[in-house]
Amino acid sequence: MTYVKNRLRRTMMFVPGNNPAMIKDAGIYGADSIMLDLEDAVSITEKDAARMLVYNAIKTVDFGGAEIVVRINGQDTPFYDEDVKTMVKAGVDVIRLPKTESAAMIQKLVKDMEKAEEEYGVKKDSIGVMAAIESAKGVLNAPEIATSTPLMMGLAVSGEDYTADMHTHRYPDGRELEFARNMVLQAARAADVYAFDTVFSNMNDTDGFYRETKYIYELGYDGKSLVNPRQIPMVNKVFNPSKDEIENAKAVENAIREAKAKGSGVISMNGKMVDKPVVAKATRVLETAKASNLIDEEGNYIGE
Amino acid sequence: MDKVVDLYLNDSSTRRKWKHFLEKLGLNNFSSREIDVIDHTLGLVDDAGNLVGTGSIAGNVLKYIGVCNEGAQPGARFNKIVTALQQYIFNQKIFHSFVFTKAKYSKSFQHLGFNELAHTKQAAFLESGTPDVNAFLDTIPKVKDQKNKKVAAIVMNANPFTLGHRHLIELANQENDLVYVFVVAANASLFNTDERMKLVQAGTADLKNIFVVSGGDYMVSRATFPAYFLKSPDDLVATQTQIDANVFKNIIAPCLFINSRYIGTEPFSRTTSFYNQSLIQVLEPSIKVILVPRYEVNGQVITATKVRQLIKDDNLLAIQKLVPSTTMDFIKNNKEILQDRIKKGMNIDGN
Amino acid sequence: MEIKTTGVAGTLESSDIQIMISKGTDGIQIDLDSEVAKAYGDQIKKVITDTLKKYGLDNVKVKATDKGALDCVIEARTLAAAQRATETSDKPELGVL
Repeated sequence: MTYVKNRLRRTMMFVPGNNPAMIKDAGIYGADSIMLDLEDAVSITEKDAARMLVYNAIKTVDFGGAEIVVRINGQDTPFYDEDVKTMVKAGVDVIRLPKTESAAMIQKLVKDMEKAEEEYGVKKDSIGVMAAIESAKGVLNAPEIATSTPLMMGLAVSGEDYTADMHTHRYPDGRELEFARNMVLQAARAADVYAFDTVFSNMNDTDGFYRETKYIYELGYDGKSLVNPRQIPMVNKVFNPSKDEIENAKAVENAIREAKAKGSGVISMNGKMVDKPVVAKATRVLETAKASNLIDEEGNYIGE
Repeated sequence: MDKVVDLYLNDSSTRRKWKHFLEKLGLNNFSSREIDVIDHTLGLVDDAGNLVGTGSIAGNVLKYIGVCNEGAQPGARFNKIVTALQQYIFNQKIFHSFVFTKAKYSKSFQHLGFNELAHTKQAAFLESGTPDVNAFLDTIPKVKDQKNKKVAAIVMNANPFTLGHRHLIELANQENDLVYVFVVAANASLFNTDERMKLVQAGTADLKNIFVVSGGDYMVSRATFPAYFLKSPDDLVATQTQIDANVFKNIIAPCLFINSRYIGTEPFSRTTSFYNQSLIQVLEPSIKVILVPRYEVNGQVITATKVRQLIKDDNLLAIQKLVPSTTMDFIKNNKEILQDRIKKGMNIDGN
Repeated sequence: MEIKTTGVAGTLESSDIQIMISKGTDGIQIDLDSEVAKAYGDQIKKVITDTLKKYGLDNVKVKATDKGALDCVIEARTLAAAQRATETSDKPELGVL
């Protein structure tokens, strides 16, 4: 397994790091990313056991092609050093640092990872990092965090701790998260890294979940954090491109192919230049459509 | 997903919620005898924040375990709460635990690696972890060719060791090749476990073929036997006796080739005489029960209860006639400490 | 490696295994409790034994309560229990992995 900077990351499913039953089955639900958690989901007395379990799981369990992220314990805990070393040795795809508040924290993580990579003979830069933004300070420093390292995969808003830090808590309409969501998204886009929204934990409020997911999709988020596999198809449904978007993306692809065949450096479609963001969007749309089985092998639309 | 949380029963609203939950599951004994010994209580809450399970720890005993299986895999919540309780005691370096429970739940505990030590119609007694009963049996001294010897056992609290105890041991000693004296290990007595062991050892040092052994966790004390799960508190003595006798008969006696057990008659205590009757019922015929009339001095039966009362009354002269010199010396040297324990509320009426 | 205390790791929940390790005198002795002991008992014991040996422990008493754990879980729990029993949890020997 190696870190890939760009890939589909609509769903990042949280899996408690000390729960073999959930780890074993994590790969069967079709999450784009699986986040094995050594932090909040593991009690203080079980940190060592969870670390071993996650290590062995990464080495041996089939996660069905999902990207494997591990949320390690924070830099202010006695578990951080061993977490980093063990996860580097395991060859995880991405290490997620909780409670990130500055670029320096990410740079320390990267340095610690490099040391471990050297110690265990793991290829340098083969593991990505991501930052969980969970405080007012973290939100305000999101731009420097997003650009702190070329290994940055993305930023994630963590609503629970952030709202506590802001002297409030989560409300169904999400107004209390408005600033943080926009700030983190801006920082991520400006740095060309991914942006992930926080979890929605009330499993009984399906409408609320759809409302929130649609909202963050429209803002421009790449994906959402999840605590329950039942939410995976719900997120995918929201993130599915429309038939028009798919047709358009296919046209862009054709234009690129034609231009290449002609040896032309300039790609145009309908009399307009096809520039980089347009190409990137088309690639993203088709990738998503393929993952959601909306198009067949040849690219024909087979959705409803 | 269900979450394990700490419950603080000294908070009255938490306690009410906890009690209400267990009452719905059919538990109804919340007396202070049962509750005051609890060291810690855990709860299991579902996604909506409802209490769906609980369990408590008292020393190395698991108590008040109850789960609601509605909306969950059968067994999953039970396994989760028992695991959480075990992790709690493991962190205190307690690796050996017990549970006294309704007989119908014995299987559930056995599925989690608990080993059943004894059961009655109503109750079951199980253990988990290490060192277990086999390790306990391994530590008990044995003699060569014990299988073919006449081996007797006496179980006593010896609180403290009196001439009555001495008399019982002497008699067993005369009639057998080997006598095990098990000293009950519960620390709910005026003389603590260590002191009682030492007094029995000192008081029998001149006799041959006697092994004084701590009853460990396997001589179930009435004082600490949990009764919270019994239908009625009146079932306590019968259930405790049957459990205790069954462990002795099925586990301890066969391993040590014990063929008889000596017990003193109890003319005054209805509880003890009832105890003796049920003991005979369980142990015989495989183990012979020999009832020995209480030893008398000047027409007065000697009891440890009487000795304790005299310590309280500061009448050491009267104790002289009731105990061997070894016990007398100890009482003399530790009079203040013992009287202080009584002042601090140590109950001296029991056994 | 020296066993200094009793070490336990793992839970009694589905797909897990609880491993309790204490000092032994007569090699590696495993007391296994598993619903699949008939079919997989030998395999489970082998994973535990191999892991302990790899960790440098030869005289160990093991109590294992299996709830259908995969080999990688058995190994992880055995290691965690061994680390706790040898009091090395804060600085685990990653070279063993």
